[in-house]
Amino acid sequence: MSNLATALVFWPSTALMLVTGANVFRTSSMARAGLLLLAALGIEGLVFLSLASEFLGVLQLLMMSGEMVIMVFFMVMFMPDPGGLMGMDMTHDKRRAATLAAAVGVGLAVLAVLTDWPARVIGTSAPDVRAIGFEVMGRSMVTFLFAAMTILFAMVGGVLLAKHGGRYGRDD
Amino acid sequence: MVSLPVVLAVAGVMFGIGLYGALGQTNAIMVIMGVELMLGAAMLNVVGFLRYSWPHATSGAFFVLIVMTLMAVEAAVGFALVVSAFRNSRTAEIDDLTELKG
Repeated sequence: MSNLATALVFWPSTALMLVTGANVFRTSSMARAGLLLLAALGIEGLVFLSLASEFLGVLQLLMMSGEMVIMVFFMVMFMPDPGGLMGMDMTHDKRRAATLAAAVGVGLAVLAVLTDWPARVIGTSAPDVRAIGFEVMGRSMVTFLFAAMTILFAMVGGVLLAKHGGRYGRDD
Repeated sequence: MVSLPVVLAVAGVMFGIGLYGALGQTNAIMVIMGVELMLGAAMLNVVGFLRYSWPHATSGAFFVLIVMTLMAVEAAVGFALVVSAFRNSRTAEIDDLTELKG
């Protein structure tokens, strides 16, 4: 992808990603918040694509669409007003949270722009899927297996945490 | 044009938005959403470095895969904790969850 094409995809999708990301916490409806987060992280996949990371971009779209749909279900289950029809406020300590978050966000952005990053560009294209496949089956196999085991343990742990009753039977 | 500092700056702003969500929201699920955005910013950082500093480093893609794994795990365990807390306290509002004991 040329520099112009990268810029043409990167800037609009980045702007959209940040706007949808900020709107996640501005809406009073959790269903809308979940869908906005899905949009923000899905658009992030588009940003990955614009940065020549096709594999990671597509993976991001697939992972986030699945994860966020599950998240929307949880929201609808645990909210008294998932549609946000009553316009309830879901914030606390709003001013301090906004001040701290703005300071951190702007601080990180300024730091990123002012830092003299090393220019070590070796080429222009990201590794292709084939190279990533060899990496998975090669020296990063242990890392990949560790990630898979972590997900498995999280699934088992999640079921144990969420299941009714504890080690000594039902608690009611 | 797009460059590494620009990508990192965007990621910094995204991290700030996520931090606002994690600190300012009262519902546990919304806090998880804030953390998801912060992890998304971390992924964007890695992809930026992968694109502009070490384009042929396949191991760089692995950092992104690890962060994606972390996002899934965090969401799964977080949801399970919310289910457990909701069962005990009938609420998912973190201001009302003042005791760890069920």
